[in-house]
Amino acid sequence: MGVDRQRLMTVLDRAHTGPVCETFDWDTRVIPQTIKKYLDRYGLQKTCDPANPINQDDGLADRFFQAGLDAAVEIGLLCLDTHRVIKFSREEILAGLDAAPAQFTLGEGKEQVTFKHRNLDDPTPPVWVSPLSIAVTEDVFLPLVEGIARVPEVDCIEGPSLETVYGHKVRAGSPLELLVGKYQAELNYEALKRAGREGMGLYAVGTSPTHYGVLGGYGVPGGYKPGRDIVLLLSPVEMKTSYELLHRLAHVYNCGDGLVYGGSWSMIGGYAGGPEGATLSCIACTLLLYTAYQAVNGASFPYDMKYMGNCGRKALWALGVVFQALSRNTHICANSVLNQTGSPATELLLWESAVGMMNLAVSGATSCTGTRSAGGKYTNFVTPLEIKFAGEVFKKCAGMSRAKANDIANKLLPRYEEQLGKAPKGQGFPECYDMKTLTPSDEWRKMYDYVKNEVIKAGMPLD
Amino acid sequence: MSEVLLQKLRAALVGEASEEEVVEIAEQLVNAGVDALRAVEVASAAIREIGDAFECGDLYLPDLMIAGRKMERCMAVLRPHLKVGDKSAAGGRVVLGTVSGDIHDIGKNLVGTMLTVGGFNVTDVGVNVPPLEFIKAAKEQRADVIALSALMTASLPYQREVITLLNELGLREKFFVIVGGGPVTMDFAQSIGADGWAENAASALKLCDKLMAAGAKAPLPQLMTA
Repeated sequence: MGVDRQRLMTVLDRAHTGPVCETFDWDTRVIPQTIKKYLDRYGLQKTCDPANPINQDDGLADRFFQAGLDAAVEIGLLCLDTHRVIKFSREEILAGLDAAPAQFTLGEGKEQVTFKHRNLDDPTPPVWVSPLSIAVTEDVFLPLVEGIARVPEVDCIEGPSLETVYGHKVRAGSPLELLVGKYQAELNYEALKRAGREGMGLYAVGTSPTHYGVLGGYGVPGGYKPGRDIVLLLSPVEMKTSYELLHRLAHVYNCGDGLVYGGSWSMIGGYAGGPEGATLSCIACTLLLYTAYQAVNGASFPYDMKYMGNCGRKALWALGVVFQALSRNTHICANSVLNQTGSPATELLLWESAVGMMNLAVSGATSCTGTRSAGGKYTNFVTPLEIKFAGEVFKKCAGMSRAKANDIANKLLPRYEEQLGKAPKGQGFPECYDMKTLTPSDEWRKMYDYVKNEVIKAGMPLD
Repeated sequence: MSEVLLQKLRAALVGEASEEEVVEIAEQLVNAGVDALRAVEVASAAIREIGDAFECGDLYLPDLMIAGRKMERCMAVLRPHLKVGDKSAAGGRVVLGTVSGDIHDIGKNLVGTMLTVGGFNVTDVGVNVPPLEFIKAAKEQRADVIALSALMTASLPYQREVITLLNELGLREKFFVIVGGGPVTMDFAQSIGADGWAENAASALKLCDKLMAAGAKAPLPQLMTA
């Protein structure tokens, strides 16, 4: 597919010629005041309904979309290196959305997977991308990724993130990061081979805090392959870009057939305000990312600062509205990230996944990346079992009505919402899995069976 | 007159007044001979109201950051007029930033603002800051605490590097070093020889208060938490 040069050069020009704005002013005046303006104009203040965490009001989602489009035109993207704003006209944003594909593929051979735009309550199974870029040690990487690749619900691989490269600590922005870009690709390919799933698409590069990992690993001999694998461009909050991200974009262009994932997030309680503000900001940001980065996949998703996750009521509501707005008003292949706080070998992780993944399935997300086991806080804290569970929910809830999903959510939320922000530590992969046989401990397996049975009793079609 | 001005200061800090208006009122207080310590106490109480409202979810991060900036400007006017014995009211000095290879700033901004709200004199050196720059800034500011934020695992080595450099330069005793951020666990903080670790912004403020009250010298024999 590749990146169009003319559009790329337009973005680079505007990063150097757009209106000037200091970061503090952006964060404390431009973002909050503009978001508030459009929330007021479209009557969106105080619309968050925690009692109904899965939105069923299509008109509301559409108003949020229109407000998001207006906000995107007015705000633009701030380039942190030049302190200039990259702005787009309404026509350019709509053209950018139009140019984005309604479907695309990743991977090759029998493991090639098609990402398709999904409508609300769409029975088309969504795509499950795992794991997130959670830090793992080198000795854990291969067995873990092999175990995850063996999960039939997993369609593509993103993380995890390597703490060391050839035994040396990875340092962001250093040549070590350049080395790990390719090293991770090599390990990923080896893991896929061991799992019998060569050909699965890969997201590049899990261990790449700056552009160096991508430059070192994507499109180089033995590294990630353009056209088959996709590059992550993850913008910081709110509506910002940087040379670091634009380096990646230019590199994808140089690779010829590269694909771009454009993602970001908005904090509930942060620069954009409460859940309504974060929702609006997510929509506006998504439109800008698809326009600026020529993304084929991705989106901005909300995060609740109170507990650094998005499986509580306000965040679930915001998440649903964002993806419903995008689904109803564009044809893009929107991807979310679900941010759990629970750890492997705890029920919390599974409850959060049940409700969060169900919400995304019925709200029109094309794909999701996850799980963010233990909130990504602890090294080696991610296992194939919660990934399997989350994938099962995501795919089997496709086609469910939002009304039913909301009913199930309200049955399950009381099982875990008091624990948000107080997650028990749980166990890492080496502790709750046999790394040779790639099987979970009895204790962890029993938790999975129990929670799965409970969510089936609540009405989820996992049987 | 002084009570009227003090109430005006409070209103300017919690309301919509600009930084310049806050500075003007602070200068009026000084010129009117109002006790600087009293003015700092009123200002601190006002800012803590903002902090409490943020914690409850009634206000959001931009409100807190704006209030923090106004407080910094206010303190810049009042601090030189504090008597020597009023030192505790002035709080400690903190150099704060996000380490190399990491441009995430929201956590750092939140901590910086909470520390300012709590009466600390904060110098924010920004994001993607090399280890030596933290030390240079700490020396220039005569800081008590160097506070290091990181959201990326691959940036954690740079938190360790600051402490390593302090030791190599013979400066370890001069500054407390505290660390925090998404992947920064208590175990990691302990392993790199940090003096303190905080899980969130509110804890960071409590931690800094504890460090300043402890009267001990860096490096601490045991990791301090809130």
